[in-house]
Amino acid sequence: MKQHPLCTDCERELDVTNLPIPTGLKREWSAMETRRQFLGRSGKVLGWAALASLFGEAALRGRAVGADAKSPVTSPGRNNLGLPHFAPKAKRAIYLFMSGGPPQVDLLDYKPNLASQYDKDIPDSVRGNQQLTGMTSGQSRFPIAPSHWGFKQYGQTGTWVSELLPYTAKMVDDLTIVKSTNTDAINHEPAIMFMNTGNMNPGKPCLGSWLAYGLGSMNDNLPTFIVLQTKTNPKENNQPVSSRLWSSGFLSSEYAGVGLRSGGDPVLYLADPDGIDREVRRRMLDAVEEINRQTQAEVGDPETNARIAQYEMAFRMQASVPELTDLSKEPQSTWDLYGPEAKQPGSFAYNCLLARRMAERGVRFTQIYKRGWDVHGDVVGVLPTLCAETDRASYALVTDLKRRGLLDDTLVVWAGEFGRTVYSQGGLSKENYGRDHHPRCFTTWMVGGGVRPGLTYGETDDYSYNVVKDPVHVRNFNATILACLGIDHNRLTYDYQGLDQRLTGPQPAYVIQGLLA
Amino acid sequence: MIAEERATGPGRDLFEPARIKRSAWLWVAGASVVLAAMPFVLRLDGRAHGDWLQFLGRFHPTLLHLPIGLIVLVPVLEVAGKKRPALREAAEFVLHVALALALPTFALGYMLAYGTGDTGTTVSRHMWGAVVLCIGLMLCIVVRPTWAARQQGFGYPALLSAVLLALVWTGHHGGSITHGSDYLTHYMPRPLRVLIPGSGSRDAAGDSFYALHVHPVLDGKCVSCHGSGSAKAGLRLDSYDDLMRGGKDGAVVVAGKPERSMLLTRVTLQPGDPHFMPAEGRTPLTSDEVSSIRAWIRAGATATRTSVPGVKIAEDPVEPPPKPVGDYSSLVPEIQQMQHGLGAKLVPLSAKASDGLILRTVDVSSSFGDAQLAQFQKFAPYIVEAELGRTGVTDASLDTLKTFTHLRALHLEGTAVTGSNLSKLSSLSQLTYVNLSGTKVTSQSVAPLRRMSQLRHLYLFNTPAEAVETTARSNQ
Repeated sequence: MKQHPLCTDCERELDVTNLPIPTGLKREWSAMETRRQFLGRSGKVLGWAALASLFGEAALRGRAVGADAKSPVTSPGRNNLGLPHFAPKAKRAIYLFMSGGPPQVDLLDYKPNLASQYDKDIPDSVRGNQQLTGMTSGQSRFPIAPSHWGFKQYGQTGTWVSELLPYTAKMVDDLTIVKSTNTDAINHEPAIMFMNTGNMNPGKPCLGSWLAYGLGSMNDNLPTFIVLQTKTNPKENNQPVSSRLWSSGFLSSEYAGVGLRSGGDPVLYLADPDGIDREVRRRMLDAVEEINRQTQAEVGDPETNARIAQYEMAFRMQASVPELTDLSKEPQSTWDLYGPEAKQPGSFAYNCLLARRMAERGVRFTQIYKRGWDVHGDVVGVLPTLCAETDRASYALVTDLKRRGLLDDTLVVWAGEFGRTVYSQGGLSKENYGRDHHPRCFTTWMVGGGVRPGLTYGETDDYSYNVVKDPVHVRNFNATILACLGIDHNRLTYDYQGLDQRLTGPQPAYVIQGLLA
Repeated sequence: MIAEERATGPGRDLFEPARIKRSAWLWVAGASVVLAAMPFVLRLDGRAHGDWLQFLGRFHPTLLHLPIGLIVLVPVLEVAGKKRPALREAAEFVLHVALALALPTFALGYMLAYGTGDTGTTVSRHMWGAVVLCIGLMLCIVVRPTWAARQQGFGYPALLSAVLLALVWTGHHGGSITHGSDYLTHYMPRPLRVLIPGSGSRDAAGDSFYALHVHPVLDGKCVSCHGSGSAKAGLRLDSYDDLMRGGKDGAVVVAGKPERSMLLTRVTLQPGDPHFMPAEGRTPLTSDEVSSIRAWIRAGATATRTSVPGVKIAEDPVEPPPKPVGDYSSLVPEIQQMQHGLGAKLVPLSAKASDGLILRTVDVSSSFGDAQLAQFQKFAPYIVEAELGRTGVTDASLDTLKTFTHLRALHLEGTAVTGSNLSKLSSLSQLTYVNLSGTKVTSQSVAPLRRMSQLRHLYLFNTPAEAVETTARSNQ
């Protein structure tokens, strides 16, 4: 036996399975063997990973069979996760992600005393030792820019809402507005990663992937987690969003978000080519499956079962996706509610309407990205456009879910990755101003299953700069979302790199009980 | 301050029992006169005096519990001292310390009342109770040595009992000043309530909006300072008439004009504002409470009106806890078999088996009909939610569904159900959610559902029933 240079114990042979390392790591290594095979293959076939994530419960069943047959150690399956931990208020969630950082001072965080402080410097005591972005750290002054728009009180709750959001104003009595959300990151990429995955560095699973992993699919014919991107408006300052935001990280890529395209075919190459009808396709798949089953019997690779399941899912999606995106049967009341933009694929209104249709059809988690909120300059010029694009559609989605009886068990979340400063970036005039990134406080809202309607939670100081009451950190925000879906964030974990990984990270996180119904 | 100096004098002297007999009676008489005269010399005139008085006075609530504890300890020591004489000796000492603390506590309390300009029956009862208590304590100290030496006589025990009664009386009124007069009885169960004379709503009886949604708020959060016990700024909020009368700064409610009603403006200021109410860090009004008061004022602020337009009273947020379903573990193999055969699933609601099962048909909705549903009858008592939306079930399915005794949510949206026999559901006592959107149900056919009190969420979007309701609403 050849002595390993690092081996101090001559009696026993040393290989990777009996290294003096924690058993947890060993288990993880064994578990990674199958995933390594999986990823190795996925690298060869472009789009495999995306397709892999299309499957839901059926594929998982297929995989589990293989796992039993061949490899005893696999990643924990859903059956032994014991989820949901408690009876959930919401079965599904829709996340309206306002990428770029909406300016809370111009929308929902009303600060009446700012008007008298126009062009005065923000007091140093308020700003403290806050680190600024490179975009404003060179400014010699930080002049206060009061909101250009008027605010009024709405609803029985008397919530102050900007005139830019006339539709949101109509539903304030249903909303749970969080004025004290705060984050650790000041630039887009880390902040948006943090908001979506609970960690500023890429590589962690996002909220939707955790839900797909933890709760599984409700519908075998559609993906568990769907991502819809809104077409960008060239007038706006669009920060990129990438598939890292809906990645499954170290979880199996079957839990990653599936993006539906905003134009043309929602899913590429899903339609049968000319001359091939569904019957032919079926016979072809049956034949391929037969061959695959023989391979599985010979080789025993669990991924073969996954492949069979994916073909089946793709076949079912050939019917389910066109049905999902066919809006021709929507009644006139839908168009009255969502507005005419909802007929243009890729608009935010269209995506909101699709999100409602997915909620009806059992999609667990839908995330809609709307880019362009990064208003460093020309707030007066751009913000009305952004609000016009999103205000009515958000209201329509909530109202539509409510009247159809879906809001009782659907959680809708509206949030960006951070807020914007009360002081002007660049020149301040009576007509226009800009706002820089601001992580210390920003306003978000939730509505639906699990959260308390008509509540405004948390307060900021007179400059909307610091949280003065009931802060809600991103970790706690995510913990609260999970709680609405029946999940104890401390118990939804995945053993990876020697750590019980979770969405809220290793630092303590708390469910904000005050937000819950 | 004068009172405190004079009064603690005898306290110190009294530590030496030998000299008590001679001078003690004189000291006690003198101190009692000073205590009793105090309210007449420095009258509580309802005006605030001096920051220093208020600053010191606010230590009254921190100090007062110490003498209370010591006074209560005295009878315990006396009784226990029958067996262990050492405890009796301790009782003498504790009595002295109690007095030495009670007098400064009284002084601080007086400073608090005088400094903040607090008046009212509760405050004066509290004050006189304290005077009696202090005098009683001094008398106890004077008569105790004789009683202890002879081991007989009823003077001292009677006096001590009187002191304890005075303590309860004083403490109770003190608590009423801080927490409000109905603090103890607020959550008293209804059967016990009859024992208390004059309790219950004073003029807020009935089902008027004021009685149900305004008076309870004022009663819970305002009357400890603006009530019968203490009426700061001359304002009382414990009855409708008092509320409308206002305080020394004028009316606090301007009917129809919430923005000009001081009652509302003061509770909606920024919490840090010096004029914010409730003052001194007491629990602020919730947004729901503020909005009911605002709507009530806008609608005319009457005592009798039962409904206020535009106000949707939040449903009771506490849904009745779901009844746990029985143990179905023996049926699990059958459940799995069923799922493979039919494609419809029975999914656990949560990890807790007693939370029950969800019947999920979305994958097979086109082929799922009454016959398939009937096969689930075996699992009927364990199903808490039936997702039958867009399936082929018809009115005949109600015969199966009525056996789902633990059913809480029923989805029938987009089905061919006409609603002709929805009354079959009325035996389902757990049912809180029914969705009939997109069906052909009419307002007559859903009438049986409307009579089910626990059924809080009934959805009729896109049905003839909804159309009727919308017309009715627009006609109003």
